[in-house]
Amino acid sequence: MAFGLAPREATQGNVQRIMYLHVPSVWVAYLAFAVVLVASIAYLARRSEGADRLAHASAEVGVLFTGLTIATGSIWGKPTWGTWWTWDARLTTVSILFVMYLGYLLLRGMIDDRERGARFAAVLGIVAAFNIPLVHFSVYWWRTLHQPPSLMKPGPSTMPGVIVAALLVNFAAFTLLYVYFVTRRARVLRLEAEAEA
Amino acid sequence: MVVWKDLLVERRSKETLNAVFFFGLLLLFLFQFALGPDRERLAGTLPGLLWLGFILSGLLGLGRTFVAERENDCWEGLLLTPGDKSAIYVGKLAGNLLLMLVVETILLVLFGFFFNLELAAVLPALAVVIALGTVAFAAVGTLFAAMTAHVRARELLFPVLLLPVEAPVLLATVKATEAVLLGEPLGSVAHWLKLLAAADVVYVAVGVLTFDFVLEG
Amino acid sequence: MTADNWSFVFAAYGLALVVIVTYWRFLVRRERELSEGDTLRRHGSGMPEPQTEHRSP
Repeated sequence: MAFGLAPREATQGNVQRIMYLHVPSVWVAYLAFAVVLVASIAYLARRSEGADRLAHASAEVGVLFTGLTIATGSIWGKPTWGTWWTWDARLTTVSILFVMYLGYLLLRGMIDDRERGARFAAVLGIVAAFNIPLVHFSVYWWRTLHQPPSLMKPGPSTMPGVIVAALLVNFAAFTLLYVYFVTRRARVLRLEAEAEA
Repeated sequence: MVVWKDLLVERRSKETLNAVFFFGLLLLFLFQFALGPDRERLAGTLPGLLWLGFILSGLLGLGRTFVAERENDCWEGLLLTPGDKSAIYVGKLAGNLLLMLVVETILLVLFGFFFNLELAAVLPALAVVIALGTVAFAAVGTLFAAMTAHVRARELLFPVLLLPVEAPVLLATVKATEAVLLGEPLGSVAHWLKLLAAADVVYVAVGVLTFDFVLEG
Repeated sequence: MTADNWSFVFAAYGLALVVIVTYWRFLVRRERELSEGDTLRRHGSGMPEPQTEHRSP
């Protein structure tokens, strides 16, 4: 299992290193929710149990990484902006994402009928995914239009090669972690289903 | 078929309409009490308050979309409907839209009265914003209402699911309303309006396409 | 840069580590419980409830 947490030298202050956690986390979250969309459509089209389990597992791991994104973002924000929370575009978008897919998991948890739960979750998965661009644009416009440019953006102003390389390494590591988690989680779901049968 | 559904909704909606309207009125009072009599401070938050009022009232009304079918054991009747079940969705959506628009109109008038707003000039622009926002809200709300009709903690899950999804719509409508109330032309918030229009299209399309799946079983 | 900020870095990485490891252990434990239950049921002689030992991981 490739953990690959290799913080390299950051030229803009050591707090910058949190970016190596924060950015790959949100990337994996988006990947996870994209998979949820595809799996949801696949389930409605073919009624494959495997697709349903994939959607469920991916949503769960996605929520996990979204939560991680928010947490690391917040921790990064405290020394950088002086506050734990701020309604900047990225944090806000991710928070909405978090609550949407948390609702997805809630829905699954509250429907006892397996087949109905799968169906409804699939529909919700599709709605949520199509909502992501709407969320992105609305929040971005909300924060950047007519906003004084005093908002500090916590990203590196230049991207030296070393930083990019480190970021890519972590992208890869997190993606592998995602795949591993989802596979395992889907397997657990299959075992649960068999146990109930 | 759709018309029949619509009429059915109309008959029932009288009680819903009254309840939702009364709830909206209460909200108005609450806003006043909670936020104090300071006119200046209130003025800035008015668009937000207005839409909060619309949404909270809407939650109440939308959540009840399928209650009658569920309580009166008509659910099977819905499921056995021959043909495209999306027609039911459209019918329910139309009914909900009507309900929400009526409530919103009354609330708007009351808002204008209580907060002494000059609404006459901006009414057409305001109407556009409200219409766009309400469609987005009702479209997803109707779909989710069907989904949560059979869930255990229905009253809890429905808003929990609907509100995050509607967050961008809320942002857009409040910003647009803000501009309109300040007397700016609709063109200045064109991007928000485009977002709302896009949301409307997406939500209604998804609703129509997936409603069949929701009503099965 | 001020030394203060290192605590935040460690906090973030520590948190990430804790979350990831906890989830991983949850998965491993669930999988073990479920396969044990499966095995017991398959090899058991008509017992209605499988008796799973809860070994701490």
